[in-house]
Amino acid sequence: MIERYLRELEAELGAVGIRGSLRRRILAETADHLRETGDVARFGESKLIAARFADELATNGARRVAYTSFLALAPAGIAYAILLGLIRTWPDITSAKVLPLAIATALTVVLAPQVAFATGLLTVARAWRLRSETAVPAAEIGVLRRRAAVALGSGAAAFTGIAVYAYEYSSGLPSWWTTTAFAVSGAVLVPIAGAAVALARNARVRPQASGSAGDLFDDVAPLLDLVPFRLRGRPWRFCLLVAVAVAAAALIAGGPDEGPRNAVFEFVAVCAGFAGLGRFLGLRR
Amino acid sequence: MRAETLKGHLDFLLLATLADEPAHGYRIIEALKRRSAGAFDLPEGTVYPALHRLEQSGLLASSWVSASGRRRRVYRLTARGRRGLSGARREWRGFTKAVEAVVA
Repeated sequence: MIERYLRELEAELGAVGIRGSLRRRILAETADHLRETGDVARFGESKLIAARFADELATNGARRVAYTSFLALAPAGIAYAILLGLIRTWPDITSAKVLPLAIATALTVVLAPQVAFATGLLTVARAWRLRSETAVPAAEIGVLRRRAAVALGSGAAAFTGIAVYAYEYSSGLPSWWTTTAFAVSGAVLVPIAGAAVALARNARVRPQASGSAGDLFDDVAPLLDLVPFRLRGRPWRFCLLVAVAVAAAALIAGGPDEGPRNAVFEFVAVCAGFAGLGRFLGLRR
Repeated sequence: MRAETLKGHLDFLLLATLADEPAHGYRIIEALKRRSAGAFDLPEGTVYPALHRLEQSGLLASSWVSASGRRRRVYRLTARGRRGLSGARREWRGFTKAVEAVVA
């Protein structure tokens, strides 16, 4: 009876993505418990126990991965601001070794950090909202994992882009800056890779709890009261508000020459990002 | 007592059960049942996911211990777990005092 139950539990744990040493440990603890009591029925249905393990470990793990990702990205953001702030004169865009690659890299260096920053904040906002939950719906965990993946991917893209940019424009940049850019990019990518590995491990576990994932307004609920007009349930209105704020910042930072062009670019980028990634990242239903 | 009622307090109860000494899963469940005079008689298998989660959060630590020819996973509170338990006790005492004041 006990052996049969253990075989069933082993299969059910495998079905929810719990394998390897963790599964062996769970089975050993269960075997010890059942040999003590001899009562399989009181232990609970194997499918239910496996689902409970998946829900609780995935919830807790995804939340931890969210915080780890943010901690990996925070120094990267500071390093990015310092690195770009150190460039006094930007090289002529046509002076690159391979121009199409350099242009793609420049776009990545501009856009990827913004995506990483926004999704990193949204990841932490979701994790914080779920901080006291022991098990949340699989859909919630899916959103948390996708946000962390996009944040980490964008952060990695930004620093890979900086390294490529430093190489492409090495003739027009001070040699100390290119050396620093290579070193900082390498150093920053290590914690990002570490967080990505933790995310990949957590993603193996498939939670089973049903329910909806919530949206952006659930994550930023405390902030909604600060806005003088209704935003809840109107994701595109929220998007336009953010796009206008980002465009205004770009306008001011760019000055009279580049400001208007940068503002239009940022406005379009925010709206395009929201259209393309909004559902994937749980920003709108 | 219904399992749903217990659900929100299970972590606190598990930490409190381990406050005096380390114990393996079966002993923890028995202690819960005994100390609550049978009120906390929950499906036994559901305690293990909670123990694993508390360990994942750094509130518990565990290791294999051999005794009488059997290998058992023994759980103990970490320093962080002790701090968490103290905080939860303070919160719980404040809560029960307030509820008692209202319903008495």
